[in-house]
Amino acid sequence: MSAIAKPLIVFLGLLCLWQGAVTVFEIAPFILPGPLAVIEVAIARADTLAEHAGTTLVEILLGLAFGTLLGCASALMMAYFRQARSWLLPVLVVSQAIPVFALAPVLVLWFGYGIAPKIAMATLIIYFPVTAAFYDGLRRTEPGWIDLAQTMGASKAAILRQIRIPAALPAFASGLRVAAAVAPIGAVVGEWVGSSAGLGYYMLLMNGRVQTAAMFAALFVLAIMAVAIYFAIDATLRRLVAWQPEADPAAFS
Amino acid sequence: MKRLLFALALTLSASPASAADKLTVMLDWFINPDHGPLYVALERGEFEKRGLEVELIPPADPNDPPKLVAAGRADLAISYQPQLHLQVAAGLPLMRIGTLVATPLSSLVVLADSPIKSISDLKGRKVGFSVGGFEDALLGAMLDKHGLTLDDVELINVNFSLSPSLMSGQVDAVIGAYRNFELNQMDLEGRPGRAFYLEEEGVPAYDELIVVAKRENASDPRISAFIDALEAATQYMINHPDAAWELFIKGRKDLDDELNRRAWRDTIPRFALRPAALDSGRYQAFAEFLKGRGMIETVPPVESYAVEVR
Repeated sequence: MSAIAKPLIVFLGLLCLWQGAVTVFEIAPFILPGPLAVIEVAIARADTLAEHAGTTLVEILLGLAFGTLLGCASALMMAYFRQARSWLLPVLVVSQAIPVFALAPVLVLWFGYGIAPKIAMATLIIYFPVTAAFYDGLRRTEPGWIDLAQTMGASKAAILRQIRIPAALPAFASGLRVAAAVAPIGAVVGEWVGSSAGLGYYMLLMNGRVQTAAMFAALFVLAIMAVAIYFAIDATLRRLVAWQPEADPAAFS
Repeated sequence: MKRLLFALALTLSASPASAADKLTVMLDWFINPDHGPLYVALERGEFEKRGLEVELIPPADPNDPPKLVAAGRADLAISYQPQLHLQVAAGLPLMRIGTLVATPLSSLVVLADSPIKSISDLKGRKVGFSVGGFEDALLGAMLDKHGLTLDDVELINVNFSLSPSLMSGQVDAVIGAYRNFELNQMDLEGRPGRAFYLEEEGVPAYDELIVVAKRENASDPRISAFIDALEAATQYMINHPDAAWELFIKGRKDLDDELNRRAWRDTIPRFALRPAALDSGRYQAFAEFLKGRGMIETVPPVESYAVEVR
């Protein structure tokens, strides 16, 4: 069975279970609409959903871009300058410890109700996984490789560029995968506290109007988008670190 | 997440509430002077006298209480008349059984020194709102009266930050700000506001705060006892506003501030003197208004979602 067919069967099975539960237990549609009702609404309002999804997608992608750039820069600085490490490390931890939900209303007051606070929120939420993973990778270069390079007279910059960064790429890839999965949270949190468009805004509005099915439709679109982003990034990363052998843990058991 | 925990806590606490005299009442918002009669009734023992043990619970999200009542997770909820119409249209089995505040409180607020002198000056401006689902209908009606449409303004959901977003200049106006609360809040912050009153600008008058029950429970004797207690407390508040204020802040010292004192004074004339009384014509007119604005598809008979309890 192909790699795509399996998750699809699991997904369809879950949908059937859900529809079955809604039908059998006669759950009121305002508490939990069945997947059929959700799909029906999603088709009827495809235009509106696409418009809001577009806004959210731009926020997620820009947040990913900024967060990754910022994270890479921070990790490189921490790995390269001992001074930067003691300055940046606490900031890094704090950036993760602060609940973005608490910060969101203030960010909105600072940056206005446009796209900026959503990007800031997504950036903030993915900054930690990217920085932490990349920094860890940079620290754990095989000492033998560095020794060899030094013996052969390589400069510090050359060692970084030719050995430490490539060696850290698999760790960086893990960080970026986590970031890709959580970036939508940042964007939607931003929309939750203040916005005039986006899937988060639409969900809030539909919740207020008790159109639970429409709210779930937006949730579906968001989930599909998140999965697509994750797999797109995953595929790119695999190509980037194609030399990294992959062991299948199941093969050893 | 907070909401999930809240619903969970409520499920755990409210499910054994079937004892004959226990009544769980969800508020619409954190405790504020709009809830005066409820707390005065509690402190004066009006509920106890009628054999009721009432628990008042502020919600995590103002849109939740009616849904929790419809789902049987709470007995009564404080809600808003415009929202009741939408919720009934969405199939929620709800019934209005009493009125707490009998006039609109919601208003469109701008800064006192704003160049917006009339609703028609809103053209091209940003208007903030806190999602209840019906704000665009109210604003649309106001704009209509002045020859504008919703496309002439930008509506922005500012969630709970109605006055902060206005005071910081992120939006030019907010709709849904309470005349008794947000106006005082802005005044105290040194950025006074100016209100346009919905019912003077093309929106039919409605009951801002109502009490809703699950439809099948509307004739529960506990409910008429509850409304009775509410009426007694309201009368006491009108007759003894200062003594009532002391009861309101009793054991809730965090409420004792200048904002709540001012809001208290401004809210007293807004309370329904006859909480049980129902003006069917008004509900009918508002439902027709919402239908005209495309918010609901049909106008159901008033008696299917609002009653006078006996």
